[in-house]
Amino acid sequence: MKKIILSFLSSLKLTITLLIIIAVASILGTIIPQQYEGGESFRHLGPGLVKAFNSLQLFDMYHSVWFIILMGLLSLNLIVCSLNRFPTSWKLFRKKPSLDRSKPFENLSPDRILVIEGNPHEVIGRVQNLLQKRCKRVRKKDTANGTVFFGEKGTYSHFGVYVIHLSILIIIAGAIMGSLLGFNAFVNIAEGESTSTVHLGRQKGIKKLDFTVRCDKFSIAYYDNGMPKEYRSNLSFLKNNNVILQGPLLVNHPITFNGIRFYQASYGSIPGGQANITVKKGNDEGTTIKIKQKDSFFLKEKDAKVKILRIEKNLMSMGPAVLISIQTPESNMRFWVFKNIEKIRDSIPGLFKKVPKFNPGLFKPYYFKLNRIESKYYTGLQLSHDPGVSIVAIGSYFIITGFFITFFSSHKRLWVRVDEKEGKSRISVATTSNKDPVGLKRETEHLLSHFKNELG
Amino acid sequence: MIINTTILSWVTFIYFGSAIFYIFRTVTGKEFFGPLASFIALAGLIAQTFGLILRWFESYKMGIGHAPLSNLYESLIFFAWTIVLLYLIVEWRIKSRNLGAFVIPFAFLSMAFASFSPNVNSRIQPLIPALQSNWLISHVITCFFGYAAFTIACGLGFMYLLKGLEKEQSSRPFLRFLPGREVLDELTYHSIVIGFIFLTLGIITGSVWAYSAWGSYWSWDPKETWSLVTWFIYAAMLHSRFVSGWRGKRMAIMSLIGFASVLFTYFGVNYLPGLHSYF
Repeated sequence: MKKIILSFLSSLKLTITLLIIIAVASILGTIIPQQYEGGESFRHLGPGLVKAFNSLQLFDMYHSVWFIILMGLLSLNLIVCSLNRFPTSWKLFRKKPSLDRSKPFENLSPDRILVIEGNPHEVIGRVQNLLQKRCKRVRKKDTANGTVFFGEKGTYSHFGVYVIHLSILIIIAGAIMGSLLGFNAFVNIAEGESTSTVHLGRQKGIKKLDFTVRCDKFSIAYYDNGMPKEYRSNLSFLKNNNVILQGPLLVNHPITFNGIRFYQASYGSIPGGQANITVKKGNDEGTTIKIKQKDSFFLKEKDAKVKILRIEKNLMSMGPAVLISIQTPESNMRFWVFKNIEKIRDSIPGLFKKVPKFNPGLFKPYYFKLNRIESKYYTGLQLSHDPGVSIVAIGSYFIITGFFITFFSSHKRLWVRVDEKEGKSRISVATTSNKDPVGLKRETEHLLSHFKNELG
Repeated sequence: MIINTTILSWVTFIYFGSAIFYIFRTVTGKEFFGPLASFIALAGLIAQTFGLILRWFESYKMGIGHAPLSNLYESLIFFAWTIVLLYLIVEWRIKSRNLGAFVIPFAFLSMAFASFSPNVNSRIQPLIPALQSNWLISHVITCFFGYAAFTIACGLGFMYLLKGLEKEQSSRPFLRFLPGREVLDELTYHSIVIGFIFLTLGIITGSVWAYSAWGSYWSWDPKETWSLVTWFIYAAMLHSRFVSGWRGKRMAIMSLIGFASVLFTYFGVNYLPGLHSYF
C-alpha cells in the first residue's frame, strides 16, 4: 500500500496532471471575478449559480481550500520525486569507473588519437599535468594496455535539478509564512488627520497599530497633457505624540515603519471642502479667509453674520460657486458667489438685473470674491507586513542558479590512455557526457589540441 | 517629433521584404535568396535599433525621458526587435537560414500591428506614477527576450510538423530542404530553455517591482496568473523531455501550445481587468 502511494506521488503523470489542473483553475480565476475586485459584477450569473460558485469558493479561488490542497499536492510530489531520484544522482556523482576497462577506447575515431615522438615514460607525467589542469580528481592506473588516466568535470551538474526543486519549495514556504504571519491592510486618511486603526484586507476586521500615522498633505502633479505625474502623501509616523519618522510617500517608493510597509494606493477628495473668499469694501485690499460649509463669520461694521450655506464645485455648469447668507438685525439675504463671475456676466448681458441672487456685490458696500474652492484630499494607503519576502527572494535567487547548473553544465568524463606504438607514444582520448554533446565535442577538441601543442 | 515612428514604420516594410525572401528561399530552394534575406533583416535590425534610440532621445527632448518600453506600441516594437536579434544570433550560430521563413514573419506582424493598428497609439507618452520604476526596463527586457525565444521555438515547431509531412521519396523539394528532425528537435529544446530562463527572470523582476509598487509580490492579477500558466506549460514540456524522453512531434505541438499561451499572456489579458492594463 505504502509503495503504491509513494509511486503515485512520485510519478511524472501526477506532476503533469497537477500542473494542468492548477493551470486550468488559475485561468478560471482570471475569468470569474474574484471577491477583492469589487464583487458585484457576478450578479448576472443567477442566484443558483452564485450559490454553487460560492460553495466551491470560486470567488476567492486562489485562497480556497481545494486550490491550497492542489498546491500542497504539487509540493509533496516535488519532494517525493526529488527524494526518489536523489540516490541515483548521488551514485553518478560518486561513481569511480574502473580504469581496467578498455571499452571507452573501442571504436574510437582516428581524430581522437595522437601519435607523438618519444617514449611513453617521458610523456605520461606531462599528460597527467595537463589533465590535472583541466579536471578534478584525476586518477591514474597502469594496465596491460598502457597507462590510463581518468578525470571528470562538472560532476555538480547532477544536482542542478534539486537546487531548482528546493528553490520552488523555499518560495512556497516563504509564501505560506507570509500568509500565516503577515497581513495586508488599507486605510484612508484625510489631510491633516491621523489614525492608528486600519482595515485588514483578506482576513477582514480591523487592526490596531502601536503607532499613529498622520497625513500632513496629499498632492497630485500632472504632466502638460493632463496625465498624472505624481501622487504624493506627506506622512508622519508618531509614537506617544512624538514624530519618529516623516517623509513623502510615492507610488513605487514605499515607506517602512515598525516592520510595516506603507504604499501609496489611492486617493480621493472629501465632499465640500473649503472656500477661499475675499471680502472687499470699495477699493480696499480686502480680507481673505478660508471657510468650510456651514461655518460663519461676522462683519462687525454692519453687525452682519455671514454664513456659507453651500459649496458647489460646479453649479449649473458655470464653475465653482458658494451660497452665502447674510443676517443683519434689519434684513436677511442670500446670494451666490461664482468664481468666474466676470465671464458669466459678460456672456449674459443684464444678468444682475434679471437674477439679483447672482450679484456678488448685493450686500452693499461689500463685494465678495470666490478665489477657489480648496477641496481636501484623503490618501488611500496600503499596508503590508510580510515576513516571508526574504525567503521568497532567496528561493528566486537559487532557482536561477539552479537553471544555470541544470541547463548550462554537464558531467563530462575523460579517459586518456598512453601506450607505445612502434617506438612512439600513442595518446587516445575518449569522452562521455550526460548531456550537451556540443559542449563535449568542444571540450574534447580543446584537450586534443592542448596535447598536440604541449607535447608535439 | 515623429521621425522615430516614420523610421519604425519603414522597418515594418524592411522586415516584410526579408520575410518574403526567406520564404522564397525555402519554397524554391534557391540559395540565392538566402544572403539577401539575411542582409535585409540585419539592415532592418540596425534601422530599428537606431529608431528606438532616437525615440528614447526624443522623449528626453520632450522632458519626459524614459526608455521606449512603456506602452503597447513600444512593447510591440521591442518584441519585433528581440525576435530579429535572437533569430540572427541563431542563424549565425547554426549557420542555416531555414528558420527565417518561420520566424521573421512574426517580427513583421508585430511591427505591422504596432504601426498600422488604429488601436495602438504611437505617440511618446509620459510615464504614469506606477511605471516610474527602475524595474520597468529589466522586467520588460527579460519578458520580451523570453517571448522572442518562445517565438523561435514555435517557428521550429511549425517546421518540424511540416517536415513530418515528408513522404519517403516523392515529397516536394522544399521539405527535403529543411533540416533533419533531430536537429530541429534539439534546437526547439534549446530555444525553450532560453525562453524559460528569461520568463522566470521576467516573473521574478515583475514580482520585485510589484513588491515595491503594490505592496505584494504576487497578487494573482490576470497577467501574473497567465505568465504562471505559461511557465507551467513549458515546465511540463521540459519534464516530459527529461524524465519521459518525449521528443519530436509531441514537443513540436507543445511548443505551439506554449506559444499560444504566450500570446494570450501578452495580448489576451488586456481584455481582462487587472494591473497591467497599460500594456
